[in-house]
Amino acid sequence: MAGAFDFAPAIALLPFVSFLVALFAGQYLPKRGALAGIAATAGSFLLSAWVAITVAGGETYNEALYTFTAGLDAFELHLGLLIDPLTALMLLIVTLISLLVHVFSLGYMNDEGETGLPRYYAGLGLFTASMLAFVYSDNILMAFMFFELVGLCSYLLIGFHFREKAPPSAAKKAFLVTRFGDYFFLIGVVAIFVTFAGATRTPGAFAGEGSFPVLAEHALADGATEGLNTLGFEPDTWFTILGLLVLGGVMGKSAQFPLHTWLPDAMEGPTPVSALIHAATMVAAGVYLVARMYGFYALSPTALAIVALIGGFTALFAATMGVVKQELKQVLAYSTISQYGYMMLALGSGGYIAAVFHLTTHAVFKALLFLGAGSVIIAMHHEENMWEMGGLKDKMPVTYWSFLSGSLALAGIVPFAGFWSKDEVLFEALIHGFGSEGGLGTAFLLAYAMGLLAVFFTGFYTFRMVFLTFHGEPRTETARKPHGVRWNVKGPLAVLGVLAAIVGFINMAPVRQLTGAHIDFLHTWLNGPEEGGWPAELSTGLHHYEEVLHDFGLVSASYPLGGETGTLLVSAALSLGLALAGVLAARSLYAVPEPVEHTDELGSIKTLLMHNYYQDEYQVWLATGVTYPIARAADKFDQGVVDGVVNGISSVSLFTGSRVRRIQTGVVSNYAAFITIALVVLLVVFGVAGGWF
Amino acid sequence: MIPTQYYLLLSAAIFCIGVFGVLTRRNALIFLMSVELILNAANINLVAFSFQHGNLSGQVFSLFTMGIAAAEVAVGLGIVLVLYRNFSDVDITEATTMRW
Repeated sequence: MAGAFDFAPAIALLPFVSFLVALFAGQYLPKRGALAGIAATAGSFLLSAWVAITVAGGETYNEALYTFTAGLDAFELHLGLLIDPLTALMLLIVTLISLLVHVFSLGYMNDEGETGLPRYYAGLGLFTASMLAFVYSDNILMAFMFFELVGLCSYLLIGFHFREKAPPSAAKKAFLVTRFGDYFFLIGVVAIFVTFAGATRTPGAFAGEGSFPVLAEHALADGATEGLNTLGFEPDTWFTILGLLVLGGVMGKSAQFPLHTWLPDAMEGPTPVSALIHAATMVAAGVYLVARMYGFYALSPTALAIVALIGGFTALFAATMGVVKQELKQVLAYSTISQYGYMMLALGSGGYIAAVFHLTTHAVFKALLFLGAGSVIIAMHHEENMWEMGGLKDKMPVTYWSFLSGSLALAGIVPFAGFWSKDEVLFEALIHGFGSEGGLGTAFLLAYAMGLLAVFFTGFYTFRMVFLTFHGEPRTETARKPHGVRWNVKGPLAVLGVLAAIVGFINMAPVRQLTGAHIDFLHTWLNGPEEGGWPAELSTGLHHYEEVLHDFGLVSASYPLGGETGTLLVSAALSLGLALAGVLAARSLYAVPEPVEHTDELGSIKTLLMHNYYQDEYQVWLATGVTYPIARAADKFDQGVVDGVVNGISSVSLFTGSRVRRIQTGVVSNYAAFITIALVVLLVVFGVAGGWF
Repeated sequence: MIPTQYYLLLSAAIFCIGVFGVLTRRNALIFLMSVELILNAANINLVAFSFQHGNLSGQVFSLFTMGIAAAEVAVGLGIVLVLYRNFSDVDITEATTMRW
């Protein structure tokens, strides 16, 4: 009997088919390809659920499906599937969000009379398909290929309104900035193949015997460096370098400082696309990649510290910018950057579960918030400035309540989803910060401090957004008479609103600690069986990661405040208290009938924040002030020196040719004379040399 | 019996006359005749050495050469004819268009 895994390729192929249908037949379909997309993603969602159930039964899958290059006595390149609990979870998230986004698009795109819809739905289909294929890639080369396809689709969708001025420019920016990161990723992929090609046939594989994390671990554990090519570096140094190269791609895609600048501009895309990009596909890809090859990152304390610091810094940095933004989607954009910073912080500080947990909850509540924002934008006739809104609470209750649920989750208020996951992220960073020795511990604590401070800002900007949009008196005519929304907008919002409230219950670590009940399902899910089973086979289980983190990453935990329970409670209380403080601060400033822009009181800091810390300016300066002159100098060198040498040689040939051709008179007698003279000369030469005379 | 050297001298003399004709004459017909002289100089050599070695293959070879020479003359006369049509003359120094 065929099992779920035999149908697993269809999870990515179904959206791909919907891409083809929308592209080639969308013009003739009643909803311009939307129904094909909904059917395909619903099918993928059901298949993912089946796969998840099969995985829950203790089965995993790690097979090559199609080998496109296989050398004799060398490595091979193939496409294949790796399905373990992490993959199954991510497949579920991506297909669910994508399905809801497709449904929502009926309301946001079709009902609003947009043109070019087949192109839109084709883009969504390809986007989903490439993300799903990326998620269950079994080797890093395949992951890279689909990583790039995801980037291409984001380019196509962000620039959907290509006739206007801003979207194409934003699309190009997203493409170029992420490509800058992917450049390092590509080098990293090649370097991984070079390093491990001598030791295995599948140097790029993520899991199982002969995969690069396992080989790297053996190299560090037993000194089994035979066949490894570390280019003359010590293995641990070299593995750190490899990890950091791949991290370049992660930082670009997951919008980590300093490659985050594309993401706020990407708000130019249609709102459902923003939901898809931020919640499930594009941005999640980076963090997912680190989680996927966590066995490799866990080997290097330096890489972990860098990941944690980048994450913590990005979390704080983006949260401060979110505080002053005036447009609904801009606030959400900065909150996305900030939240992915938390995931990186968790991954860096050894909180693998916390990161996956936050990835899951964030996917739900951020999709919800974007779709909610989309609903508001429909109601407001595509006005996005929050100062033009106000008082929408009573006019659109479904949107309000679901948006509130998402906001509470984002701010991290108990018992909504974000509280549980963000608390766990910070808890892991704290205990590992105190437990780890030396610089690593300091780095974790620093990252923790930044993450903790960002909690306050998160609470503040989230509720500033909620109060400005939904509370108080309507500030414009449009806000007094908003446009209604239909079931296809309310349905996805309701589903996600409920999920945002309850999805945190899959891993309530604090409650488990207090009551002893085994309700940390995600922990169990990622852990795998205690002995043998798939983790031993694939080495992607949590047990394995914890061992690696402890033995090679030098990450260990200690509980500074009254044992594990005490630390857990203090940490939870601290983050909850800060979040509440942020919410209350926002409430006192903005939950009034006629709110004013308090941000003006910040003075020059506001200018700095509104200009995003001049990140765009300095990057543009880097491009025009540094890269451009270098490129021009290189061009001069190319045109002048390289081409000059080539042209010089050819002009010498031309000149000699123009002179020498004069011996070609066209008169036959002359040619005959040449031949005769040559013959005579040859005879004489041979004669003299041969001694005839 | 006449020594082989004399044949060779005769052959060399005819060859030189032929080369002289090729180098100096402007009339295409004479040019062609000079080429024939060069060919026949070679023939004499072949026959002379064949006689010297008592081996008939050289003489057979010269028969072939004569056949080829006949064909060559046919082609040569054709060229001369075309030359006359194009330049109204058979002076080979006039036909200098096949160059750069």
